[in-house]
Parts: sequence; structure tokens; C-alpha cells
Amino acid sequence: MKSLKVITQIAASAMLLFAAAQPALAAQDPTGSKQTTYPGISSDALEKFGGEAGVHNWVEALFYYIMLDNRINKIFIEHGNVARQIALNTQLEQMVLGGAVQYEGASMSAAHADLGITLTQFNAVVEAAYNACERVNTPYSVCNQLIAALAPFERSIVTR
Amino acid sequence: MKGLIGVNRYLPSCAALLALSAALFSAGAWADLYNDGKVLATGGVSMTDGAGGGGITPWATITGYGTRDGINGDVHYTYVNLPNYALNSIGGAVGLWDRVELSYTNDVLTTGSTFNTVGLLTDTLGLPTGIAPWNTTIKMDVFGAKVRVFGEAIYDSDNLIPQVAVGGFYKINHNRALLKTLQASKSKDWEAYIAATKIFFPINTLVNVTLRYTAANETGLTGFGGPKGNKREIRPEVSLAYLLNKGTAIGVEYQKHGGNLEGQSVDLNGVVVPGDLLGSLTQHESDWYDAFIAFFPSKNLSITMAYAMLGNITLTPNQSGYYISLQASF
Repeated sequence: MKSLKVITQIAASAMLLFAAAQPALAAQDPTGSKQTTYPGISSDALEKFGGEAGVHNWVEALFYYIMLDNRINKIFIEHGNVARQIALNTQLEQMVLGGAVQYEGASMSAAHADLGITLTQFNAVVEAAYNACERVNTPYSVCNQLIAALAPFERSIVTR
Repeated sequence: MKGLIGVNRYLPSCAALLALSAALFSAGAWADLYNDGKVLATGGVSMTDGAGGGGITPWATITGYGTRDGINGDVHYTYVNLPNYALNSIGGAVGLWDRVELSYTNDVLTTGSTFNTVGLLTDTLGLPTGIAPWNTTIKMDVFGAKVRVFGEAIYDSDNLIPQVAVGGFYKINHNRALLKTLQASKSKDWEAYIAATKIFFPINTLVNVTLRYTAANETGLTGFGGPKGNKREIRPEVSLAYLLNKGTAIGVEYQKHGGNLEGQSVDLNGVVVPGDLLGSLTQHESDWYDAFIAFFPSKNLSITMAYAMLGNITLTPNQSGYYISLQASF
């Protein structure tokens, strides 16, 4: 019976933690500023990415890998203009890394609301993101600053 | 004849399995169920009890590469070579919709020369101690289940809430006579755990903390409970992994062990031998540590190499040695 009590206590603490977590689970959208992460994104991340030109190169590489990935390229072909997505992503990625750049596109949830994106498809883009870092010779540890900044968008992009 | 009877016993379950697979394939359902959509390395590896995690600690991650969109599984083989022991662990696990994990593993521990002094004596006297001189082996079946409760280890980098899972193992140790000799209370027992895992991308680091509620001696390989304690207790375990690149991680682990058999000697068919009578016959158990490197060349294969520092195990001190684990995912 004592073990049952311990399990109940563990379950109760888990539920409490879950309840405390609720407000943080709201949909994530670009807020017009650097993404808040724990721990924070390193202050020289944008510089190490090569500034605007470096980020632009990375986004070009990202879309190169996305458009070659038969799991996800159809979504990008059917919904929207790739050149425009490259321009908007260059803004967004600079902004979340702490650059003084305003993202002019739609919110993440609005832009993806009707697409029925799965987590499997989202992860395919994450894989493309890592491939893109390797393509433009951005070190893995620098790449992870951007991964940290973009990861919370999963909550507004994945709807299935 | 015995072999035939054995085969017959398994036939119904084989037929059921075949029928199930046929149903899955014919409906084309398997294509919809199968999923390998997790990012490389994020399924973790297989720990020695068979669950998804690090080398010795179960994590809150669900094993395999299945996301919430489907199922995925893996098989593993782990070999640990210590001065007095060798552990062979072989098993399989399945992850269901990144929510539930079911696992089975079979641990076979050969004990080298550890029990030879006791074995030779008791063999001469004809005592049933579970010790065969030169060839004492401990076999254990481990059944595991894990449920992911809440939290995102990977995506929620904007909060500190870890991914949390609860799980349990049911372990059946088959060398009951040896466990009796070592004075363990039980040969079968369950353990429960709660695990919290979080990846901190800005510092390329994964942190896992697990609390295991258990009465195990050497994870159950030398049974459960003993003269110094029979009750389950909460023992912490920690894994730290640093991600070197998208397919390589290095790290360290710690696992708290108990002292149920601490300072005890051996019980030879009812006679407890004074610990110093036949040289060193006193048992000790140390906490476990390991340092590892894990390679993920593809989503179908991981290779983990480690140096395990397990300290005192039963009668023998300084049990440190190499660990290698292969995991194939499908």
C-alpha cells in the first residue's frame, strides 16, 4: 500500500507541474523581437551566422533541401511563392536571432492554419535546416541557436 | 519430441501474429501506421533494461523514430565487459504515437571467477547454491512500459518545462538459488520511475533526471531486497549529453544504487559463512557511472560506446570496463 501512496504522490506532482505549465503552452507567434529561450540565444549568433547575407544564404540552402525532399516539397509548391517565402524567412530568422529587422509576413499560426501540417512534416524541415547549416558551413553549435529560436513555432505550425 | 511440443506451443501465437500482419498489410494500414519522422538521434538509444534512454537510465523520450503520427520500433544488443563479469543484453522495444513505449530485454550476466571459491567448496559438499564452478550465469527477463505524460523535450525551448514520462519494469531473475546464496529476498520484482528530459539547444546539451522507485540489487541481477533492507526506495539517476553534431553525442551518466546486501556474506544452504573465513566473501554495491559516445549514422542504426565504472559488484571490487551497444530501428 505504501508503494501505491508513493505512485499517487508522484502522479499528483506530475499533474501539478502540468497545470503550472499550461499558460506557457499558448500558440507561439513572432513577437517582433528576439526569441526568448532557456538558456538565451548567444548574443553573437546573428554575427556568427554571417549577418543578413549569411542568413539569406542559409534560407536559400534551406529551400534547396526542402524543394528536393519528396516528403514535403508539394506543400511548398502548392501554397505560396517560394521567392517570397525566402525573402520573408530571411527577415524572420534575423529577427528571432536578435537582429533589428521587422518580419513583414503573416503570423505563424495564420500562415499555416489551413495546411494540416504534421509533426513528421515539420521535422522534415528541421532536417533540411541542419542540412542547410552544413551546406553554408555554419557550425552545428551556431546552427542550434537558430534551431532553439524556431523550435517553439512547432506549436503554431503543426495542426494535426 | 520435446522440440516438437515446444514448436506446437508457439504455433497459435505465430498464427495470430501472421494473421495480424496480414490484416495490417492487406488493409494498407501499415503504411499509415509506420512512422520515422523524428529528427535524427532524438529517439535516444536503448538502456540496459531495454527502455529508450541513455546507457543505464530510462529517459522521458519514447524509443524509436515515430512521432505522434505513427509507430516505430527498435532492437538492440549491448555487451559490457567487466573484469569479473560480462553482460549480454538483447531486446526490442516499440514506440506508439510517441506516447507509449513497450519493451522487453533479456540480460545474461556471466560471472567469471567471482564465485569459484564458494562454488568449488559447495560443489564438493553437494550444496544447492546456484553456483556452477567456472560457469555461473545469471539470466534476467525485463518487461518495460512507459507513458509520456506531458512536456516537450525538444520543441519548447522557450520554457523550462521538461518532457515527463512515467514507467515501470517487471524483472524476473532466473538464478534463484544463487540469489538465495547472496541473501537477496526476491528474484522477481517491479520498479517504477518518473523521468524528466529536456534539450537545451543554445548550449547543445540534453539533461535527463530520473527517480526510480526500486529495491533492486545491481538492477536486479543479484535480486531484490536483502538483510539490510527490503523496501523499495527512490534512487536518482542523471544523464548529461552534449551534442557534437546532428549525429554524435557524448556524455556522462550516474545511477544511485542501494545497500540491501551491503556487508553481507554468502548463505550456503542455511549457513551464513563469516565474510573473512574463505578470504573476501563480503558483498558491496557501488553507485554506477559511465561516460559515453553515441553515433547515429542513420535513423536505422546507432552505435554507443562507453566506459562503465560500476565499482563493487557482489564480492569483487573495481568493476570498470567497456560497453558497446548497437541499436537498429525500423
